[in-house]
Parts: sequence; structure tokens; C-alpha cells
Amino acid sequence: MKALIMTFALAASLLAQEVIELKQPNSSKVIIKLQFRNGSVADPAGKEGLTAATVGLLTQGGTKEMTYSQIQETLYPWAAGYYGSVDKEVTTLTFMVHRDFLEQFYPIMTGLLLTPAFAENDFQRVMKNQQNYVDQVIRASSDEEYSKKALEDLLFRGTNYQHMVQGKSASVKSITLDDIKAHYAAVFTRTNLLVGIAGNYSPAFLTKLKADLATLPAARYAPPKPGAARMPDGVEVEIVAKDGAFGSAIFTGTPLAVTRSAKEFAALMVANSYLGEHRKSYGQLYQKIREIRSMNYGDYSYIEWYSNGGGNMLPPSGVPRASNYFALWIRPVQIAEQLRKQYEELSSVPIGHAHFALRMAVREVDDIVRNGLTKEEFEATRAFLRSYMKLYVQTPNEQLGYLMDSRFYGRKDFIREADALLAKLTVKDVNAAVKKYWRTDRMFVTIVTSTSEADALAKSLRENAPSPMAYSNAVKAGLPKAVLEEDDAVAVYPLNVKKVTVVPSAETFK
Amino acid sequence: MKQLIRFLVLCLVTGASAVTAADKILPYPIHQKQLANGLNVVTVQFDSPGLAAFYIVVRVGSRNEVEQGVTGFAHFFEHMMFRGTERYPRDKYNEVLKSIGAGANANTSLDRTIYHMTGDATKLETMFDLEADRFQNLRYSEHDFKTEAGAVKGEYTKNFASPYQQSYENLMNTAFDVHTYKHTTMGFFKDIVDMPNQYTYSLEFFDRYYRPEYTTVVVVGDVTPQRVNALAEKYFGPWKHGTYVSVVPPEPKQDSARSTHLSDGSIPPYLSLNYKGPAFSDNDIDMPALDVLTTILFSPTSELYKKLVIREQKVRQLSGGASDTRDPNLISVSASLVKKEDLQYVKDEIVKAVEAFKTAGADEAMLAKTKSRLKYSFAMGIDNPSTIANSLCAYITLTGDPESLNRLYAMYDTVTNDDLKRIAAKYFVPSGLTIATISADAKGGVQ
Repeated sequence: MKALIMTFALAASLLAQEVIELKQPNSSKVIIKLQFRNGSVADPAGKEGLTAATVGLLTQGGTKEMTYSQIQETLYPWAAGYYGSVDKEVTTLTFMVHRDFLEQFYPIMTGLLLTPAFAENDFQRVMKNQQNYVDQVIRASSDEEYSKKALEDLLFRGTNYQHMVQGKSASVKSITLDDIKAHYAAVFTRTNLLVGIAGNYSPAFLTKLKADLATLPAARYAPPKPGAARMPDGVEVEIVAKDGAFGSAIFTGTPLAVTRSAKEFAALMVANSYLGEHRKSYGQLYQKIREIRSMNYGDYSYIEWYSNGGGNMLPPSGVPRASNYFALWIRPVQIAEQLRKQYEELSSVPIGHAHFALRMAVREVDDIVRNGLTKEEFEATRAFLRSYMKLYVQTPNEQLGYLMDSRFYGRKDFIREADALLAKLTVKDVNAAVKKYWRTDRMFVTIVTSTSEADALAKSLRENAPSPMAYSNAVKAGLPKAVLEEDDAVAVYPLNVKKVTVVPSAETFK
Repeated sequence: MKQLIRFLVLCLVTGASAVTAADKILPYPIHQKQLANGLNVVTVQFDSPGLAAFYIVVRVGSRNEVEQGVTGFAHFFEHMMFRGTERYPRDKYNEVLKSIGAGANANTSLDRTIYHMTGDATKLETMFDLEADRFQNLRYSEHDFKTEAGAVKGEYTKNFASPYQQSYENLMNTAFDVHTYKHTTMGFFKDIVDMPNQYTYSLEFFDRYYRPEYTTVVVVGDVTPQRVNALAEKYFGPWKHGTYVSVVPPEPKQDSARSTHLSDGSIPPYLSLNYKGPAFSDNDIDMPALDVLTTILFSPTSELYKKLVIREQKVRQLSGGASDTRDPNLISVSASLVKKEDLQYVKDEIVKAVEAFKTAGADEAMLAKTKSRLKYSFAMGIDNPSTIANSLCAYITLTGDPESLNRLYAMYDTVTNDDLKRIAAKYFVPSGLTIATISADAKGGVQ
């Protein structure tokens, strides 16, 4: 392992000299991305959220030369912009400007990075919002996003991957301006930086950029080893009980020892696309849960972290991770309280659809693990992916982002290389990879649901009790016999549940 | 800048038509062809090798839901469009769609429904074939119809988790009495629960609106207008013109301030001030002037923002803008606060800033900078076929003509300080205001 850490450190120092270039002489703009190998795993214990706070202050604060408001005023007529994003293992700062203003924009950009003001009033403002995010926003805005963050908290418990990028309620309170200054000096260095530039710029501009970035601290920084996902004894469920929740939002995760670095990733891409391609109607999960039974808005599966799945249609760059997990996303399904209110024939249902939906999703995964894809299914899915992946990099911003993420995985151009891997793949490879890496007997599950639903759902899961699907009469009357028969099998499909806990919403992310 | 100067010189040499082209915010020609049945076909060639965005905009949205009990139907119908035809039943449709390898989806809003695919430009004919078939020959069973209603309820359930969404629903219901903007695109929940019983109405809905005169096909990317027009003629040519004319009841003038409050302490206190505004127009100066005005008054460079967000830090976020819609809608100013005790103060500060603007207007330099900002914002965004197609669809929705995009941006240049003062006085009036608040308190209490 030592050798691996040394390799990482060496790679990081070499990256300082490397620039990923995407020259587009016909473009009207220039995009610069600075990717630091730090991320939330670089947060010291007790100061979780510090990297996010540092980036918040860099991007929403002033410089030694200009206040935040002065910067905004200067950029205003150019519509130039910049933002920072922090994930578990990297931070990416992105700057975008029309080529007409590149020269004027440049000193502001370097000022933000090299001579930040770290002003007290900016600090107060940024921290108020970060505190509010961990205290309120994550719990109250989207039950789906909440269930995902709660799952990571459970899956990576006890490791540096556990906490949200924004931190925890108590840790954010403890972050001081001095913490930020020290963290900035320590983890934003030229030794852990990868530079990317796209668009219409001159060689002289790039030379100057490289020279200026070389003035970042030279102290070597390598982030700590990323925490690995825990493997539970069986299916371990955490139900987050929230007053007034309208449905049950479900997310599952089980450790996955493969990332984009590995050849086998391409095989899992095909299997995953077949099972549950994000926001596509072709996946088995979508077909079974939404299309045939209309239980919710959509159901998908993942072999790597997908940032802001509720908003993004295509997987965004900037979230490369070494610790990986296989996940199922079941969008909010109905709770008993709502079903009872809506349909007279369901006035006495004991629980809503969550238990049934989870069983159905697990059964679909098991089916693929057991039986694999047919040659036809494999061919159709592979052909789809080989075309669809090109859409990930439709914009210069994403094209550059994907190239930079490729480096994280020891690749040059993931999109191109994955296509080559897909071209060589066989159905045998796919089915073997699924058998090797996917499992449902040991997984974590989080369900954000109504307080009114939590205990009955917990009991049903704990007892592996039958959970017959509760249809309204209007829908049930027209369902084909085969669907109803499948429902009967799903209702008693065994889940290897070993532990179920109910956690009040206020108790999460402490 | 050099290139811009060179371009301007060229324009002077080549004469008036080139000057007109230089005024256009979209630097690519918009080719339009109307088929005999009324379908408009729009093509924009864009340098995206091998890639094309294929969009279809139908000018039907929740605005058209005039009958009682069927709110949310335009959106529901968008779901039904994926339920298949005789030639391409649902499974076959999915199979062919998957074989194209495109990013495909649909969405509905107040004034329109958009169906889109972005993918391999060499598959354009298959895209036309698939889409023209379902637009003309959609066929679904009553059971499929009832089943799909559950997915819509699932979508509502997902959205309802956000208190902001709940507040928005209340706001529209309060601000409008008669016009169909009273309900959101999702519709009232009671109507969503009742959707399975509306099969017959759904057939009527398709017959009314899924017609060429309501529809525009937009293709952007590695294509030629000749090819697009030929494919449109081949696949959409036989589509029959309809007869239905949608009549939406106009909203009477609002005569006194209104308010709605959501008691919810789970998110930061929230305030939105919503004034009745105009409909979109690309020949009346009011809407372009409102875009300029709200950018000046509520962006991070505004005095109000600097005071409330930066210096006093009583507000977390502040934003404002007018809705571009076919009929008069709201001009909204929203603030997320730190403390609920400041709700009245923040409201008073916003109103104070607006009132001061009515007489003082904008600084001339700021007016020029704002016009520049609006133009560069657009120019920075159009770097892929989907974004361009989306922008064109937005203006096709509003006027039926994609050139409205170019006309609007040309009008920004003509906005004067007198326009700004006039429209501030015209639209920011207390009797046209609806206040929406969220806080832990039982009542909003903002006057």
C-alpha cells in the first residue's frame, strides 16, 4: 500500500507540469479548469466541510485587490463567471469568459486563486449558508437527494468518505477563518493541481497561466487514502422518519471494487445500462416499477457516483472517485397514509409501496446476476452506449472536464477508451463481471419517508413480511395476469434483512 | 475584439443586409419552411460534427387547460405520448429509440410541450419516422392511460418534498382568479388523483392540439435545411390540419394586494413579491425593458443585493425577473432570509428600491453594462446544438416565430432610461402585488 501512496504522490507532483488542452480556434470563449486533488477527504477530523468552506470563500469572497462586490461589478458586463465544486477527492474551479475579455478577466482569476482576501465579512456570509445547508437544506429540499446523502453516511461510516462535502452540523460550526487560511495553504498547492484549458486562447496566454500557477505553494500535498465502503452482514436498512414527507425515497449501496480505471468497468456499464440507465425508459427497473406498475417517476441503477441525479440528464464531470459502490435509486413511492386517503379500496393498507418496490428492484438485479443478459440484449445495449456516451461531452466544458477526470483514473480519454473497450466486449464478459461484482444479499438501504410510515415499514422489513402490491381498482382491473402473478412472487421475495433502524430526521448528519 | 472590428468593417462594405445580420444575437441563419398543413420546420446549421438536436415544440401547456377538473393534463399527455402506436408499440418504440443512442425526453410548461432527441445526425431519418408516427398515430389502451396516471402522481410526490414548490403552487392559485396560470403545470393534486377517469377527455385533447398548426419541428447541428425539409415533408406532410382554436379566459385586473403563507420551519424564511406583468412581446418595449430593469435591480451588482446580502447579511439569496409567457404573468422578486423577524424589513427594502427607481431610473453606464451582460450571457451559452434548439423553442412557444429571439435582443439595445422609469411605475404597483411567504409562523404577517 505504501508503494501505491508513493505512486499517488509522484503522480500528483508530475501533474503540476501537465496541462490538458482543448484548442477550439472557432470558439468565442475560453474555459479554464483547475482541479486540485483534495476534496472532502482532505477535511481534518472535527472540521468536516473545511474544503467546501475554503472553496466557498475563494469563489464567493474578494481578493487582496478587489472586494467580492467589485469583482462582480467588473465581470457583470462581460457575463464572465466562475464557480467551484468540491467532491470527495477533488476540487474543481472553473472559469469561463468570452474571448473579448480574456485579458481583463485574467488578473481577477489569478487574484481569486493566488491572493484571496479571506475577509471576515465574506467568511461570515459563506459559513451561514454552509451551516444552513447541513442543518436545513439537505433535509428539506429533496427527499431523494437526502436519501442519497444518508446512504453515503451509512455506507462509509467511520471513514473520511462518510461526511457530506458540506460537512456536519457540529463540524461546520467549529470552522474558523484561520482554519480556512491554513487549509488553503496546505491543500491547494501546485503539487496536487491539474490544469485544463479549452477554447480560443493563444500559446502566450497559456505560458503566462502556467508561470503564474507555479507560484502556488510548492509544499507537496497528497490527500489521505480514501475511505472504503463497508460491507454489511446482510441487508441493513436505515429509515429516516420525516414529518410531512409525501412519499418514500429509496437509495441502496453495496461496495464495488471497480472504477473507470479497470477494464471490467465497460462490462459493468453495459449491465448497468440494461438494468437501469439513468433517466432512460429502457432499463429493467424503470420498465417493471414505473412503466408497467406506475409506482413512481423512475427507477435507475449506478456503478459510480452520479452528481445531482434529480437535475442532470447526463453524468457530469468533476466527481471522480476511487471508492465506489453499486447503487439502486427508487424515486419516491406512495406511503400508506396517502393511499388510504386517495382510494376507498385501499383504506386499510398497512404500509405503502416501499417494501414491494425494494423487493422488485432487488429481484431484477438477482435475475441479471443469475441469468445474465442475452446476446441480443447485450448487443442492443452496447450499441446504445457507444452512441450515447458521446453526448456526455457535448459542450466544451464537459469535454474538458471528462479529459481531466480521465487522468484521475490513469486514463487519457475515458470516452474514447471506453468506446474501444465496449467494441471488444462480449456478452460473456458482461455476465461474468456481473456475477463477480454485483450482490444484493449484503447492501445498505436508506429510505426517507413520513413519520406516519416509518414504524410499520420497519416492522415489515424486519419480519420479511409479505408486502402485496396495493393497486387502485382502476389500475388493477386492467393488469395482465402475468403482471399479477409476478406481483405475487415479488410480494414474498426474500430480502436478507439483518438490521432495520428508524432515525428521526433531526438526528441525521450530526 | 479585433475580429469584431473586422466584422463591423465587413458589414459596412457589404451593405445594409449584412448590418441587419450583425444585429442578430444568434450568429447562424434560421431557415424556416412552412408545410402546406401548417407545420413550421426550422433548421439551424451548427458545427457539431455528427451530432444533431431534433426538437418538436407543441404550443400547448397548462395554459390550455380551461375545463374544470383537468388541470395538469398537458403534462399528463406528454407522458402518454410515450405509450406507442400500432406501428411502433411501446416496446418497439423503446427498442428503436435505444438503437438510435440518443438523449431523448420531453417536458411541459405553462405554454408548451417539448419533445427532444439529441444524437447521431446520420439517424435523422429514423428520428423523423418515430416522431411523425406518434404525433399522427398515437394509440393507447384505457388501461395504459390509467396506469400512466400513477407515474404523474409519482412526479408530484417527488416535487412536493420541496416547500418552495408548495409555496409556488399556492402563489399561482392566489395571484390568478380566472386565467389558467392559476394552476401549475403539474396541476391540482385532486385532479391528478382523478386522472385515471379522464380517458375520453385525453382522446379529445390529442385531437385538438396534436396538430401541425400547433407544432414546430426544430433541427440544429450537422444537417442541411434541404435534408430537414425533405424529411419533414415525407414524414409530417400527410398530417391533417385541425380545427380547434384554444380560448383562454383573460385575467381581470387585480385591484388589491394579496398574500399567501406556508407555515414551514424546515427551510430558511422565504419571501417573494409578485407583481402582475405583461405578456411576452417582441415588438413592445415593456418586456425587454423589464428584463433590463430586473437585472439592474436584483443582480449581485445591485445596491439592494449589496446591502441585504453582502453588508447586512440578512438575506442569503436575492433574485428577480419577469416571466416570459404568452399571456400576462408575474414579475417576481424572491429572497431567502436568515431570520423570519426580518421578513417585513426585507419586503420594505425591496419596495423602497423599486420606488426610488421609478423617479431616479438607472445610471446610464449601468444601463449600457446591463445590455452588454444580456448579450454576452446568451453568446456564452450557445456552444452546443441542444442549447440552441432549446432557445429557439422558447421563442417559438411565445410567438410562433424563432426570429423573435433575434428581435428581442435587438430591442434590448433600444431600451432607454425613460422606458425603465415608465415600466417601473406601470407594473410595480401595490394593487398588483401578491406576497408569498414561508416561515415557521402560523401567519406570514408581511404587509
